[in-house]
Amino acid sequence: MEASDESLITDAHRARIGVLSEPFPCVISAVDAQHVRDVLLDADPRYADDTGTAAPYALSILEPRPIGGLPPHIIPRILPGGVLTQSEWTWHRDFKYGEPLIARHQVVDIRERLGGRFGRSVLVIAKTEYRTSAGELVAETAHTVTQFDPSGRGTQE
Amino acid sequence: MSQRYFEDVSVGDELEPVEKIPTDEVATQFFAREGEPASTPERLPVSREGFSGVLVPGLLKVSWLTQYVSDWAGPAGRVRTVRVAYRRPDATNAPLVLTGNVVAKREEDGRHVVEIEVATMAEDGPSVRGAAQVELPARG
Repeated sequence: MEASDESLITDAHRARIGVLSEPFPCVISAVDAQHVRDVLLDADPRYADDTGTAAPYALSILEPRPIGGLPPHIIPRILPGGVLTQSEWTWHRDFKYGEPLIARHQVVDIRERLGGRFGRSVLVIAKTEYRTSAGELVAETAHTVTQFDPSGRGTQE
Repeated sequence: MSQRYFEDVSVGDELEPVEKIPTDEVATQFFAREGEPASTPERLPVSREGFSGVLVPGLLKVSWLTQYVSDWAGPAGRVRTVRVAYRRPDATNAPLVLTGNVVAKREEDGRHVVEIEVATMAEDGPSVRGAAQVELPARG
């Protein structure tokens, strides 16, 4: 069957671009920071137990899992399959154990792609900001999730 | 860990490669959190050759690359950004070699910034390619 020429991206999807999600409280606990450090076999003394400072990659603790699995009102599900294809982490300062942070997500772009290894696909680029309660920006992430239809049939929503 | 200074870095410098073995346990434990058991690892689809395996999480590879450039920069260095493209999935238990080379250096608002191209190299080529930006201290 021929794929439709009609775009899979609707006005409703486009309307979500740039809309900040509700705030999600989050924190890097000492236990989690040390766990990830142990898994990575990181002996860097800057991030030892008694420093109170988490390694930059502790950002992985704050990330939603899976990356594309945020609620559909934040990240639209246009096609049923999804794979993480690009990531960017930015740090503005060190993380402190136990420091309350507030995450807010937003879709910054949605693009359609024809061809390539996923066939007809939709690229959803989502950013997350992690701020203190005083509004200080501590870290940011950006991820591209490529949505595709493994069956080649159609849209999810 | 020794300190690296901005003046001592040149465009074209290669970072010493580091080998990582993403075992099943590492891939599983990476996402374990306080009060939450390790999640069931995602599996790769069975290939045409019948091969299947546990998927190495993309964020584990980003974390390793972050650790890699942070170690290279030294205690007074600071990682600003790491940006990657996942070119293809990796299965657990196959070694990955982290590589990097300096592609630019500049002073920016009084800070000393170095750009590094990074990659995770699997047996038959790069599975992740990207770039990192680090700040280094200057001598004197």
